[in-house]
Amino acid sequence: MPFTALNSRMVEATIAPGQRMFSQRGAMLAYRGEVRFTPNVQGGQGGVGSMIGRRIAGEATPLMTVEVPQGLDDQGGTPTATVMFGHGGHHVHVVDLTGETLYVEADRLLAFDGSLSQGTMFMGSQGGVMGMVRGQVTGQGLFTTTLQGHGSVAVMAHGGVIELPITPQRPVHVDPQAYVAHRGEVRNRLSAALGWREMIGRGSGEAFQLELSGQGTVYVQASEEKL
Amino acid sequence: MTGPVVHDVHSLPADDNVNPYAFSVDLDGRWFLQKGKMIAYYGQIDFHGIGHGRLDRLIAGSFHSPLHAADWVVAEGRGKMLLADRSFDVNSYDLDEGNLTIRSGNVLAFQPSLSLKQSIIPGFLTLIGTGKFVAASNGPVVFVEPPIRVDPQALVGWADCPSPCHHYDHRYLRGFLGGLRAHTGFGGVSGEEHQFEFTGAGTVLLQSTERIVPELATGALPEEDGIPGDGGHVPQSGSQLPQLPGNLRGLQRRFGL
Repeated sequence: MPFTALNSRMVEATIAPGQRMFSQRGAMLAYRGEVRFTPNVQGGQGGVGSMIGRRIAGEATPLMTVEVPQGLDDQGGTPTATVMFGHGGHHVHVVDLTGETLYVEADRLLAFDGSLSQGTMFMGSQGGVMGMVRGQVTGQGLFTTTLQGHGSVAVMAHGGVIELPITPQRPVHVDPQAYVAHRGEVRNRLSAALGWREMIGRGSGEAFQLELSGQGTVYVQASEEKL
Repeated sequence: MTGPVVHDVHSLPADDNVNPYAFSVDLDGRWFLQKGKMIAYYGQIDFHGIGHGRLDRLIAGSFHSPLHAADWVVAEGRGKMLLADRSFDVNSYDLDEGNLTIRSGNVLAFQPSLSLKQSIIPGFLTLIGTGKFVAASNGPVVFVEPPIRVDPQALVGWADCPSPCHHYDHRYLRGFLGGLRAHTGFGGVSGEEHQFEFTGAGTVLLQSTERIVPELATGALPEEDGIPGDGGHVPQSGSQLPQLPGNLRGLQRRFGL
């Protein structure tokens, strides 16, 4: 897998000639070898259509393409390059995908393999109006980014990341602010525990929870602060 | 689960980290430290501003930076002294007849057996000699070996490197598209057009984020609740007095004004 964690806030990626990956703009800390950084107007993969989709969805995080040009061997260039990524002092967690789909906010993406296919998902498509409400509460907005295929993703979080497995028997309840990402066949539902206490301003502060059920993994950060 | 560790003067580590964010100095003699980085101490320790008579010889021997004189003090005495800086990661480094150049805001303290000089690269200090120093970084420090190109903001310092130089991505900046980008702003920037390049033998120190440890206005009390004294009215160091013209300005700095 191309990402190696150097410490809790930094990852190192190995890129072979001809390969490419996407990363958040300005997140490169250092590199070895011949690497080309190009700003990506389209904010990721797909054509102009995907770009417009992302712009409308508000999931168009400034990304850049990180690639190692092919055919540098004869010019004495290093065959593979290494790039180190880190951003804003946030903790970095590497997620290895083997065919599943990862649902994550675009601005939490530090870097990901070019082999993954990127898409945008409408929150309303998972649970209708409640899905849209859920998007508002978690701060995801109405859309979220999906990454699918085989490859690695480096996700940023405030504080360390905890992986919680979800099984059909054991759904997981997550504070919407601490939610980072999830993967697998997971249905999520916003459960509200609003009562008379909330109405008079004496609530527990935990009125909304995300309930994730199905089969997969949810990633939670050790903080309720957003990025 | 273990409870909180309670330290006393004997259990505090000697010249080692207490946790990633605090460093304990076993003081018996003198250390230079940047103003405001001491958080607590045991024992009998005096703090002297630099540029005051008695320590003249020491300063002549190991402090060669009039620009930063107002930001440093000498701690003298015996005891344990705790150093920290805004919960940034703190590390100590040992130099053995070596040299290390580091961003000036990152240095917390150093032994007088080292000598501190201003680097010819603005904003950096060079430490030469044998001894220990303590430096802060935003996130853990990663040591890498050249040849490497480094984001300017992620660079903490370098040791024994002969050639720190700028590297520009000309393929990106040049040509029709480059000009179009430069003039219209359309197409955006990757933020990675410019790096510091290191070649040759040595070690480069990187921090884990591209956010620099900001230099603090030293000597000023933070304007906060719970701090006695009129914290807000202490001006920034180096600007307490109206600046004298010409060479006299150097004199002012010399006396730590």
